[in-house]
Order: sequence, then structure tokens, then C-alpha cells
Amino acid sequence: MDENEILTDENIARVRDLLVALESGDATGANEVIDDLAKIRETDIYKEMGRITRELHDAISAFGMDEQLNVLAQSEIPDARQRLRHVIEMTDQAANRTLNEVEASLPICEGLEKRSSELHENWNRFKKRDMDLNEFKQLAKNMDDFFIANTGDASKLRGSLTNVLMAQDFQDLTSQIIKKVITLVEEVENNLVEIIKLTGGLEKVDGKAVAAKEDKLAGPVVPGVNDKGSTVSGQDDVDDLLSSLGF
Amino acid sequence: MKILVVDDFSTMRRIIKNLLRDLGLNNTAEADDGTTALPMLQGGGFDLLVTDWNMPGMQGIDLLKHVRADESLKDLPVLMVTAEQKREQIVEAAQAGVNGYIVKPFTAQTLKEKLDKIFERIEG
Repeated sequence: MDENEILTDENIARVRDLLVALESGDATGANEVIDDLAKIRETDIYKEMGRITRELHDAISAFGMDEQLNVLAQSEIPDARQRLRHVIEMTDQAANRTLNEVEASLPICEGLEKRSSELHENWNRFKKRDMDLNEFKQLAKNMDDFFIANTGDASKLRGSLTNVLMAQDFQDLTSQIIKKVITLVEEVENNLVEIIKLTGGLEKVDGKAVAAKEDKLAGPVVPGVNDKGSTVSGQDDVDDLLSSLGF
Repeated sequence: MKILVVDDFSTMRRIIKNLLRDLGLNNTAEADDGTTALPMLQGGGFDLLVTDWNMPGMQGIDLLKHVRADESLKDLPVLMVTAEQKREQIVEAAQAGVNGYIVKPFTAQTLKEKLDKIFERIEG
């Protein structure tokens, strides 16, 4: 509201009327004039509210017309969430597939080791001629069993190793999905910057106020994201730090 | 030697259990955070705690503090295996009385070294 707007002949007349009414003891007349004066103020508030409402409406319409933003909010963000969930599922599956195969293979290796060393022991006794005929017959049978078992075990191990190999396919697939999500995040970022510019908020942005809130727990170090500052660069660094603390 | 392995990711628990088994340590139990781990520890019988830091419910650092504050558990060796590698966190864990600190990703060799060190101290 312009300060000078109040300097009108009408207002001067209103104040004169008020003075006359007060001096003549006309309470009704005085109240009427005061109500009139109050209305002038109220009208200005209504005008201002109207202006803000119009601006808000325009801004909302502008948002609504931005088809790209709509698509981002309504389909691409939920889509990205789904993609990332899928990444979690795939990595979980790959880890479990691999662990299953390893858990199945380790006892095979242990059996192989045990049978070999037993056979080797008996074979050494045979070479030193420290063995009777019956024992030798048993040794010959054990060797037969050993070869048969080894063939079977080797084939099982090869199967397991192939499965471990195949389980690594998640790396390729999850990378592709994550790359897509990165592209989407960039798009959202650009749109947000546009909105901030539109609402004039960019000049008011206070560096301190928007400084990313640092999590208490930083989680895994991601190169280029949180590998700066007070993080250690590996186990050797941890050991050095702990030994400097007297560990 | 009975060991409790605490991590919210079952794959990491499996990896640690398999590595421990490879070192001849077959007697292990699992918990997925501090809240489930603490009653198991208080039930008794554990000789070593291997725990992650960042978990839902009770975090590893709080589990460690509870263990050190518990008269029956205060001498239990605790090995922390975590992706947290901020200096102040490592210092915090050391001050809370951790016996070893391993950052992920880690190798089987690192786990063996830290365990050997812990056992040396117990026996020594």
C-alpha cells in the first residue's frame, strides 16, 4: 500500500466528521466513521491477499502445465524406487547363490583332502613294503573308490564353480539399472533448480542453512561422494589410528 | 570357542560364519541387531562377539557399551566389522572398549590376523 494513499480529501472529511460527532456526543455517528476508516485498511489487506492468491494460482498452474515434471513425479520416481528395490533383490540373490555353492563345495574339498592324505599314507607304507597282502587288497579297493569319488566330486565342484560364475551376472545388470536411476536423478535435480529459480529462492539460499546435514553414520565410502575429510582409507589406516591410541 | 556374529545383512553373517569355519571356529550363532544379540549374550556361553556397527534397532556401538557395562560380559572380546570408516567413529569404538576394528570390504587374512591378536591377548 502506498503511504500517500491515505492523504485524500475524503479522509480529511471523515476525520472532521469524527471530531464533530465526538464533540456533539453522537456515539453512533463516531462509531460509523471509525468503521469506515477501519474498512480502508481491510480493503488493502484483501487486495494484498488477492495478489498473493493469484500468484500462487499462477505458480500452481505453471507446475501443472509442466508435463515433464508430472511424468517425473507420477511415474519415473516410483519407477526408480522399483528399479533400486530390484537391485537390492538381485544382489541379495547373487550373494545367496554364491554362498550356497561355496557352502556345498567346502565339505567336498575337506573330504578330498582327507581321502588323499589317508591314501597317501597307505601308499607310502606300500612303497616301503610295510604292508601285508590283505592290507594291499584293501588299498587297491580304496584306490578304486578314490578315483570314482574324485571324478564325481570334481564334476560337482565344476558345477558349483560354474554357478558361482553365473551368479556374478548381477554386476552387469545392476550397473545398467543404477545408471538409469542416476540419469533420472540428474533430471529431477535440473527441474528442482528451475523451480527454485522460478520462485526466486536462489538468491536467498543461505549456504549454511542448506549445507547437507551430515549423517552420524557415513556408511560405506563411495569414491567421489564421501571419501574426503576424516575417513580412513582402509584397514592399514585403521590399524595405524588404533595403534596411535595405544592399541 | 563359541562366537556370536551380529549383522543386519544375512549375506554378511554367512560370509563371516564361513570364514570363521575356515579358521576352525565352527561354533557360531547369529543375531541381526543389538536388541536380539544382547539377551543371547546375557544367556551366557559366548567367548567372542563379532558385530557390525550400523544396524536397525540397537547399533553395534551401543551393543558394545551394554556389554562393557554388564558385570557378566564386561571382559568379552568384541571385534567390530563395519563399513564405518570415519576417524571419530573408530576412536569412539576404541574408547568404548572394542578389541579389534575391521573395515568392510575386508579379506579373510585380515579377519584371521585380528582374531589371532585377540586370542593372543586372552591367553597372554
